[in-house]
Amino acid sequence: MNVNALLDKQSILIPLDISDKTECIQAMVDALALSGCVTDKSAYLEAVMNREKTGSTGIGFGVAIPHGKSAGVSKPGLAFAKLAKKTDWDSLDGEPVSAVFMIAVPEAAAGNEHLQILIAISRKLIDEEFRNKLFAVQDSEELIGLLQTI
Amino acid sequence: MKKIIAVTACPTGVAHTYMAAESLVKAAKEKQIELKVETRGAVGVENEITEQEIAEAHAIIIAADTDVLESRFQGKPVVKVRVAQAIKDPKGLIEQALNMQASDPTDYLKQVDKSKAERSSSRTGAYKHLMTGVSAMLPLVVAGGLLIAISFIFGIEAFKEEGTLAAALMSIGGGAAFALMVPVLSGFIAFSIAEKPGLAPGLVGGMLASQLGAGFIGGIAAGFLAGYLALWLKNTIRLPRNLEGLKPILLIPLIATAITGLLMVFVIGEPIKFIMDSLTAWLQSLGKANAILLGLLLGAMMAFDMGGPVNKAAYTFAVGLLASNEFGPMAAVMAAGMTPPLGVWLATMLAPRKFTQDERDGGKSAAVLGISFITEGAIPFAASDPIRVIPSLMVGSAVTGALSMLFGATLRAPHGGIFVLPIPNAVSHLGLYALAILIGTVVTAIMLSILKKTVR
Repeated sequence: MNVNALLDKQSILIPLDISDKTECIQAMVDALALSGCVTDKSAYLEAVMNREKTGSTGIGFGVAIPHGKSAGVSKPGLAFAKLAKKTDWDSLDGEPVSAVFMIAVPEAAAGNEHLQILIAISRKLIDEEFRNKLFAVQDSEELIGLLQTI
Repeated sequence: MKKIIAVTACPTGVAHTYMAAESLVKAAKEKQIELKVETRGAVGVENEITEQEIAEAHAIIIAADTDVLESRFQGKPVVKVRVAQAIKDPKGLIEQALNMQASDPTDYLKQVDKSKAERSSSRTGAYKHLMTGVSAMLPLVVAGGLLIAISFIFGIEAFKEEGTLAAALMSIGGGAAFALMVPVLSGFIAFSIAEKPGLAPGLVGGMLASQLGAGFIGGIAAGFLAGYLALWLKNTIRLPRNLEGLKPILLIPLIATAITGLLMVFVIGEPIKFIMDSLTAWLQSLGKANAILLGLLLGAMMAFDMGGPVNKAAYTFAVGLLASNEFGPMAAVMAAGMTPPLGVWLATMLAPRKFTQDERDGGKSAAVLGISFITEGAIPFAASDPIRVIPSLMVGSAVTGALSMLFGATLRAPHGGIFVLPIPNAVSHLGLYALAILIGTVVTAIMLSILKKTVR
């Protein structure tokens, strides 16, 4: 699967050294802005934080997927962070998080192809084998290589 | 083996919807349970559950934070949780669904519910779209009609005095709620056809129908026009991918609304207004003989298929006429819709030997459904012996419909059974109206007592 259109190297943060969830989200929003997906940082950040308020995106198994749909997003995009230390995310299973995917979706849905890729990644996160490989990636090349196998 | 079906959905529709689906599928595989998951996400509805599958399923899991058209599952055991729960504990959820009791088919009320659900799920095509519009419109008609009726408590002309409560009630009921009737009817017909892109052109077309005096017939025409137009545009317009976002928000609303509106104004508005005007003029000048004929016809239609297409045709006709201030057919239709279950109940009392124990028990429930104007309440009886039961119901309903028209009864609310009767001014000629319902009930009961065979 071709993830290059979605995942810019500037939005892959390995490792990311932060102290809490909010700081992590901030850093990843910045990265998505650098890569050009997010044009209005504060609007997108608000969407992501509002989503967190309705229920944590820590899906368990050490993975979190903060996401937001906002007019501040120009094209669908993905950011990945491997956290330097495990961070609390109010996860469903109560466990701290070490891998974070952030998903940005524009308000007006543009072309389903990109969404399909995001959906495929979301589905894959339920697969334990895939998660173990994800926790093991050391740099952006390895991550892109892994995502391309989906 | 027990089959389970699940629906997952979340507001953003890219992550939780699919993770929940994946978790459930994985857990089902481990437990060796047959499971199908419908996902409702940003890319639309995928793996959609069919009516057949709902019918065959042991239970349904809804893991969703948004609407999933839950009414499809009426009468089925449903486990309903937040979408996150399916990711957290998919096995527990499947376990819970497996342990649900299948609904007891002998329970009379559930049986009626089930046949109602089957009816609405088997609706297809234009009929389904029309019914979506009618059901969206009904609450407006109920609220509007009853508020207008209540304003008459202060005197039939009281609303003309500005600044009074009566005037406010009239402007809420008549000025606002009734004004929305035809636009909402039309808007939701179009919505049912083309989903969201149909709504704007449908609402606008309905508004024009109402402003042009084309009434509910104009609204129905506008709804179908707008809906199929929006659907066609949705499937036809192709744009470069980076402009694709403009399609639902700019192009479809603009083009579909413009074309629907222009056709309403210049082409179909006037002829339909002529039809509507002729219809209302005919209804107003209706002589006794014709009024009785119309009542007979509407009444018989109400009982013919009890909630099916023929019944709904009569019902929609009467409700639509409320928008044109014609209240007589509504009274006839509601009265005729109440007598089938009431007549069945009375028959089980008059001639208990002609009914099974189950039917005698069910008769009491049928009575409750009858006074609530749920014509479907007679279906279980009609289904078990249609050749003797349906004509009995039709004759009773036709008599009631004809009497209601003959007595000049009018009804301002489209539903409610006997519960709207005490609301002042909702029904005119209350005593005679009740008499019409009573006579039809007795006619049906006597015919059933004669025609039905003794149960051995």
